[in-house]
Amino acid sequence: MPRALVLNDLDNVATLIDSGKAGDDCALQGEAKGTVRLLADVPFGHKVCIKDTSAGQEIFKYGTIIGKASAAIKPGAHVHTHNVESIRGRGDQAGSSK
Amino acid sequence: MSATFLGYPRKNGSIGVRNWVGVISIMDNCNPVTRAICNAVDGTVPITTLFVRGQYGRDLEITYNTLAGMGSNPNIASVLLIGLEEMTSEEVAKRIRPTGKRVEIINLQPDGTINAVANGTRIAMRMAIEASGIRRVSCPASSLVIGVECGGSDTTSGLSCNPAIGRMADRLVDDGGTIIISETSEFFGAEHLFAARAVDDKIRKEFVDKVVGFEQDAMKMGLDIRGTNPTPDNIRGGLTTIEEKALGAMAKAGTRPLVGVLDYGEPPVKKGLHFMATPAPAVESMTAFAAGGCQLIFFGTGVGNPIGNMVSPTVKVSGNVNTLRTMPDNIDVDVSELIEKGSKVTDVGDRLYGYTMEVASGTRTTSEVLDIRETAISRFGPTI
Repeated sequence: MPRALVLNDLDNVATLIDSGKAGDDCALQGEAKGTVRLLADVPFGHKVCIKDTSAGQEIFKYGTIIGKASAAIKPGAHVHTHNVESIRGRGDQAGSSK
Repeated sequence: MSATFLGYPRKNGSIGVRNWVGVISIMDNCNPVTRAICNAVDGTVPITTLFVRGQYGRDLEITYNTLAGMGSNPNIASVLLIGLEEMTSEEVAKRIRPTGKRVEIINLQPDGTINAVANGTRIAMRMAIEASGIRRVSCPASSLVIGVECGGSDTTSGLSCNPAIGRMADRLVDDGGTIIISETSEFFGAEHLFAARAVDDKIRKEFVDKVVGFEQDAMKMGLDIRGTNPTPDNIRGGLTTIEEKALGAMAKAGTRPLVGVLDYGEPPVKKGLHFMATPAPAVESMTAFAAGGCQLIFFGTGVGNPIGNMVSPTVKVSGNVNTLRTMPDNIDVDVSELIEKGSKVTDVGDRLYGYTMEVASGTRTTSEVLDIRETAISRFGPTI
């Protein structure tokens, strides 16, 4: 069972410390317990959603805002550049927002 | 109940966690004599420098203040300055004397290096014996100033060592102590989040001005840090936004309010969390911590960076099981249980805080025992 680390109890994402496949039950550890079923492959070091998050809602890691959801995100979904926007600018769209 | 440790009381009310005689080079050409004296006398630490000759203006002022700041650090019982001639030696001496500690000067002119080594060795020997008469007494954690640093960072840093150090930082601030975080460039993209923690608008503006000013300096050199972060490598590794990347580094400062903003090597006058504007390279940043009066430094590392500071014992913390296997001699605290066993950051951080009091009371660090230590004062202008 792949594991994911929750760093703060405010967080709506957990960071995988093993690579996970779609359909795997992922064990949460750290500041939250339980499992979440992965809706997609999530590589080591990437984030999985652990709380139902609507579009435009803030994404919390370390108990702090790291960006905003650009689409609704279900628990178990891979959380990354395809569904999260920086509030401060993004390197792969260099210069697009500052 | 607040934590306590056993420390060395100094005349100006500060508390040392070590009790060394500092032998300080006033300029680059004095370093060989400084090292010769330290090789001859147990209980001394050599504090060397590069340049000074050919420096001017703000750049020279910061160098003098940094040398004097390291001499003034509470871990130093007394100071022997090794200079070339009287005038520059006095520039540093006069900045250390207000601490009330003994300051002696040996100049290489006019009697040459053999006499300087002989005379300096005699003085340092007496100073070391004098210092050894000072006893540790019980001191409150509030007398500690700790610098938090990271280097050789990887995915494990933001998940283990940095949050654990952050919890230690919160505990120290709650006990009335002081934490300093540095490395200005690491805040790019998340400066607004850290700025939001400032206690008032003045501190908030000072902090943002430092980060924005540094970013503009980088831009002038053709480096667009914000526009190129997170890098494609970071995104492949799972970092989604520049905020997330910066937060991994900022996690080591904990969560308490920002009470002060400091220049390179400037000592804090308040208790609580401070930011110090320094370049990112660890040796330069830690030299500034030591000059600012930090008695200890906590250093989170992922892939492994062994270096420590000469004056502030440096505690290396890692949560990367590979690094803990391949370079265990250079790591003081293993926090891999955060990743491997699912331990809580609060529990691991609380234990780290307990260990802080042990190191403050005399438990030695790997970089101290192995003498993997270095000094580098940052430059803020060219040599003429």
